[in-house]
Amino acid sequence: MNDFSIPSSQSTPEVRSDWNAGHLHMAGDSYPENSFDLFQQVFDWIESYLDQAGAPLSLELRLLYLNTSSVKAMMDVFDLLEAAHQDGKQVAVNWYYDPQNERVAELAEEFKEDCTFNFNIISHP
Amino acid sequence: MDHIDLFAMREQFNSQQILLCFNGPISRSLIEEIGNALRNYLAADSAPTSAAMDVFAVYIEMTQNISHYTRAKGWNEQEAGATVVVSRDEDGRYIVSAGNLIESADGENLVSSIARLAELDKAGLKAAYKEQLRRPRDAERPSGAGLGLIDIARKSSAPLQASLQPVANGRSFFSLRAVI
Repeated sequence: MNDFSIPSSQSTPEVRSDWNAGHLHMAGDSYPENSFDLFQQVFDWIESYLDQAGAPLSLELRLLYLNTSSVKAMMDVFDLLEAAHQDGKQVAVNWYYDPQNERVAELAEEFKEDCTFNFNIISHP
Repeated sequence: MDHIDLFAMREQFNSQQILLCFNGPISRSLIEEIGNALRNYLAADSAPTSAAMDVFAVYIEMTQNISHYTRAKGWNEQEAGATVVVSRDEDGRYIVSAGNLIESADGENLVSSIARLAELDKAGLKAAYKEQLRRPRDAERPSGAGLGLIDIARKSSAPLQASLQPVANGRSFFSLRAVI
């Protein structure tokens, strides 16, 4: 499957996949009224990768503010990773946040509570 | 009133510490543009990062809820208006208020669900949030997570206040006030 890349807009994050490295990058704010179109592409890429790549996957996140519609979509993404982890696949999340912005760390912590795979919340000034 | 007294409006906005207000039809792009202005005002007001994030988040959830509702009802631009005010109280806390026309029956349901949320403490709100997050998406409103109100309540430092003012034709004006 081909890699994809979506530039950021005022209300949507930058998204970039790197199949060879096993990375998916997301950075910025996400508060579109309807987050489905955006997250469907993310979801589809991760599904194909987990299905075909036979290599570890890591989500490299620098997400900031998520509206509730995006939170729900991200939960689906993390559920997909959790299921892969239960299947014995190697998956990880690295979520970088600015220590000046504690809300980002709190948001990441709440997602982490429901995940048993390797979920790192990393202070990165 | 046959003319608009801008000076009186300005005096009132200043005395009520209104940072931003808007009244009229809202679109996706307008929600984003006003949100952008709000972020700039909060930065200029030297709001702490977490307060600025919470005010912005509450503004987004309130206005997107209104937008989803009016679109689901198929209302025209004039009916689909919103009234939004961001202000500060005497203690310097930010207040986000938003109102819109709503079918009275929907309004009564909303007011009672807000009253139920008002009885929950932080842990109760978190549990309600996680439960709602895990609930299957409503087929009628696939874009709305239905989480907005709980999220607003979690970001508020006081229970949410809601009111319903009957207007005409089975519709009411619903207003919601959150203290950050």
